[in-house]
Amino acid sequence: MQNWLKGALIALASSAITVAVMQTMRAPASDGAAAAVVPRMADGRPDLNGIWQAIGTAHWNLQDHTARPGPVLELGAAFAVPAGQAVVEGNEIPYQEWAAAKQKENFENWVTRDPEVKCYLPGLPRATYMPYPFQIVYSPGNDVLMAYEYASASRVIKMGPAEEPPVDSWMGQSTGRWEGDTLVVESTGFNDQTWFDRAGNFHSEALRVVERFTPVHADLIDYRATIEDPKVFTRPWTIQVPIYRRRDANAQLLEFKCVEFVEELMYGHLVKPTGKEKPFAPARLRWP
Amino acid sequence: MRAPTLRGRGVRRRGPQRAWFARWGALQPDLLIVVLLAAAVSACQGPGTNAQEGWTPPRTPDGQPDLQGIWTNYTATPFEVPDASDNPRLYAGDPDGRGRGTGPSSFLNDVTDRKLDKGRSLVVDPPNGRVPIMAWAEEHRTARLLSIQDHYANHTPWERCITRGVPGGIFPAGYGSGYQILQGPGYVAILYEMIHEARIIPTDGRPHVGSSIRLWNGDSRGRWEGDTLVVDITNYNDKGNIATNAAAQRVRAIPQSEGLHVVERFTRVDENTINYEVTIEDPKVFTAPWRVAIPLKREPDHKIFEYACHEGNLAIPNTLSAGRARDKAR
Repeated sequence: MQNWLKGALIALASSAITVAVMQTMRAPASDGAAAAVVPRMADGRPDLNGIWQAIGTAHWNLQDHTARPGPVLELGAAFAVPAGQAVVEGNEIPYQEWAAAKQKENFENWVTRDPEVKCYLPGLPRATYMPYPFQIVYSPGNDVLMAYEYASASRVIKMGPAEEPPVDSWMGQSTGRWEGDTLVVESTGFNDQTWFDRAGNFHSEALRVVERFTPVHADLIDYRATIEDPKVFTRPWTIQVPIYRRRDANAQLLEFKCVEFVEELMYGHLVKPTGKEKPFAPARLRWP
Repeated sequence: MRAPTLRGRGVRRRGPQRAWFARWGALQPDLLIVVLLAAAVSACQGPGTNAQEGWTPPRTPDGQPDLQGIWTNYTATPFEVPDASDNPRLYAGDPDGRGRGTGPSSFLNDVTDRKLDKGRSLVVDPPNGRVPIMAWAEEHRTARLLSIQDHYANHTPWERCITRGVPGGIFPAGYGSGYQILQGPGYVAILYEMIHEARIIPTDGRPHVGSSIRLWNGDSRGRWEGDTLVVDITNYNDKGNIATNAAAQRVRAIPQSEGLHVVERFTRVDENTINYEVTIEDPKVFTAPWRVAIPLKREPDHKIFEYACHEGNLAIPNTLSAGRARDKAR
């Protein structure tokens, strides 16, 4: 067979397989147990009520990353960093030159700089793919509550046109609308304090996030977030993270009120010594 | 009939309520007397459990009574009936009047233009309006409040920016008093403006979580009794305080034990009022159960702001560093 024909057949077969795989991911499973169809509210829109969680390692790093040792030697493999592939389209975060240098510094100084270490509010879109569940509660015609187990963070998405936020905040101000079966949420009014992951990816107060929640079937949401920040990036960029319904029996959000876990870290040096304190065992920090 | 659309925010006039009453009063005096008698009878059955005559709350699409909206709890009613033995400065953490405490003692609404109700006390049971606190718990509270400069754990969970607790988070605080209720199928969610607490209460009859799971705000399970949402709360930890607001005065910083059991009742009695009642039982801390009643008023224009408490907490480091400076100076 001639080379060009061989090449063409291979190309055709590859694209056919790619299309077939994409179709399988989009359509409900047809072999064995079929995935349930998307439930609907009284107004015909998808019902996204329930408890959801992302899996994977986007919370560690939005880009491709190899496994590496964790920050504390004594924690060994139990707190090392797993590998993961990029959730950023194109695996590139288009930083301006000054910002790329700052991100590198953030990455190297993670322990002292990541707001997550101090149990600070996670901002958006990070709250969505933190390794903790979150719950969506709403009725048609009303605001949409998204409550995150991490640090009791939450946000209420006001359904309607975007509004000028009166003040900056950690979680921003979110407004939403339906476009077909997609819940589109626009958020602005952020301060510059949050990160996007544990790799030091950051933003300014000019951040604007547009999220799209599209149900694939009853237990899966195709979640995309487009990040725009003209002070930090050269163009908008988009991440895609599948979100799965928590199907545990009696699933519910518990408390992760982590302020209690960081008080000694943040205020311990100001406490009145009694002479009866239990000394901490030494631990060696590998980072930076 | 008013339309059942209930947006969390947006301007709503309070006019229609008064106009309806005025029309009935002017044109139907005999019927008015009957209505008033019926209202008086139902009032005798206990506050807050009977809707205004002729009014039933609208329903959510899945058939729950609709409590949705933004509600506030501003009031000039004191928490307890005051007593000569009270020491308000101590309760605010400032025993010798030198301004050492955190937070003002006033919960009055002087910074807004609201017209406030003033009743006898928010505590409605025991009948004397005083919470039946065991002596050890008051001593524990006092010892903590006198030592807030020594350790962060001596502060209430509010100053620590952990939580205002349940039901403590609904006791009036003077600001940040927004409560947004949103409902979805099988759930009632209450977003407390302070400290951005989103309580999500299942109403599907599932049992409480296992007894080894302990929570600052307990584990809530709701059910509907007629149009009243009844919430049963167990599984508390022993690190919280039953009240953290200065306005609770003597009850502020009283500890909660793992035996704490709380039952709340939310009844929407008219378009603009939810009567909230809570019964608190903790046999290690109180000699008897006690009950608090707080009306919640609809305020769709109240903007709920982010209360990023921990992110901006200067109270704890400032109180502690002042304490170390004081120690050094001695």
